[in-house]
Amino acid sequence: MRTASLRLTVGRPQRGPIGTIAETVRSVYQRRRLLLYLTIARVRQDGSNSLIGNLWLIIDPAVQLAIYYFLVGVVLNRPQANFPLFLFAAILPWRWFTMAIGSATESVRRRDKVMRQIAFPQIVLPLSAVAASTTSFFFGLIPLFSLYLVYPERLTIWVTTLPIVIFVQVLWTAPLAILFSALSVFFRDTGNFVRHGLRIGFYLSPALFSFERIQELLAPYPPAHLLLELNPMAWILTAYRDILYEGRAADWTALLVVALASLPFTFASIYAFRRMAPTFVKVL
Amino acid sequence: MKHPSPILLKGVGVSYNLRMKRKRSMRRSVTHRSRIDEKGHFWALRNIDLEVKDGEVLAVVGGNGAGKSTLLSTLAGIITPDAGSIAVYGSIATLLHVGAGFDDELNAEENILLVGALLGVPASIMRKKVPEILEFADIGDFAKAEVRTYSSGMRARLGLAVATSVEPDVLLVDEVLSTGDASFRDKARNRILALMEKARAVVYVTHDLASAKELCTRAIQLEGGKIVADGPARKVINAYEKKMRARTSAPRPASRRVTRKG
Repeated sequence: MRTASLRLTVGRPQRGPIGTIAETVRSVYQRRRLLLYLTIARVRQDGSNSLIGNLWLIIDPAVQLAIYYFLVGVVLNRPQANFPLFLFAAILPWRWFTMAIGSATESVRRRDKVMRQIAFPQIVLPLSAVAASTTSFFFGLIPLFSLYLVYPERLTIWVTTLPIVIFVQVLWTAPLAILFSALSVFFRDTGNFVRHGLRIGFYLSPALFSFERIQELLAPYPPAHLLLELNPMAWILTAYRDILYEGRAADWTALLVVALASLPFTFASIYAFRRMAPTFVKVL
Repeated sequence: MKHPSPILLKGVGVSYNLRMKRKRSMRRSVTHRSRIDEKGHFWALRNIDLEVKDGEVLAVVGGNGAGKSTLLSTLAGIITPDAGSIAVYGSIATLLHVGAGFDDELNAEENILLVGALLGVPASIMRKKVPEILEFADIGDFAKAEVRTYSSGMRARLGLAVATSVEPDVLLVDEVLSTGDASFRDKARNRILALMEKARAVVYVTHDLASAKELCTRAIQLEGGKIVADGPARKVINAYEKKMRARTSAPRPASRRVTRKG
């Protein structure tokens, strides 16, 4: 028989918002291996049962680039120097964003069997979806950097600041992933809303055109213009384009504001997820 | 030194909000009308007071939909009670649906580590257990193959091997003694019995009343989400068996009315 020093495992009192958030963050840190294994499984799932496996991680973004290049560069004939790089610098991060949000939205629902069997911090599910799409984003950097072989003059020292911009994007991706994954348990059509929202977001972001050009286009429509200004991805994509294409410093002040603005949102989403989590098993 | 009982439930109730559930339970809501309150919540468990002391092996018996599985999920911390308080001390292992934590794209070893991580067992400990688990599951050359290539028997064996590889303080068992073929069943049974010996408290949900009588020290009977009988295993289960026999021989509508009152 073991000693009396057993800790309470089920039935811990519910804490206030700050305690809940701290506890959740700690639980994710404790289960970081779980996060790793789930991420590996997910990355492998995308690559398995296919002819050329994980090469798709590189080919997919390259093909997408080719399509947009043809559509915007050739059909719509938008003159822009070194257009493929201009396009790819923004499309690749946007692709990462949509993949992360899209797969995270389904992540909790897909694991309903495990959740019914084992009690674990379910928040690792959307986080592993984000981590897996981050992995495929990194593979997408291979075709992106290959473009510098064609346009070597575009490669500047500012490319080294890429991790900063990536970090800011994660700050916005994670809370959205957490929130939508929880909502989709209760509302099956969350996925549809998210898909259309992302589609609209794409056109309200400087993905196909430059930020200035979009602002110009949307100027006659104040609500749309306001949405553009409030869209964190608009600022983030512009930062990518600054450092990868224009070869200049990003607007660090704007980026800092975007990063700070994500924090209350992050805390709110973690708290909301944690409050909704106990009912997941009952609803699924 | 006095320490708290491994499991202590006080006035625990678990309700399902039927508006949020799938249609399947809406149908059940008609047959279980007495358990639905005015707000449309279905109470799967109501006012459960239960203390499981050190060394007790508790059998939970009752008909379908009596709340047995909900009770087990609540004890495991998977479902949070909507009323009352719950306290479970020590590490918990659940033998509910073994193998549910597996990911099809990972091989046996990776899945062992994944389930270990889900259970919160440190990777260093889990890694040491891998050879023993593989040997017990007896999956041979398939250890290096992805789990999606496994037969259902291999899956079940691996699932049971992983689930029983940890030594919990509190063991929750739900009808798993019938995994695999006859020879494996004996092996599995012995392994689960060994775990039961070591655990401080065991809760065993089953329809196999003979084995429950043999293994358990105490039994409770659930009916309509409430505990209707509690006492020594043999006594409670014998009474339950007698009641079941009476019910099957009696005309159906009459037995329904008896259930409602419970």
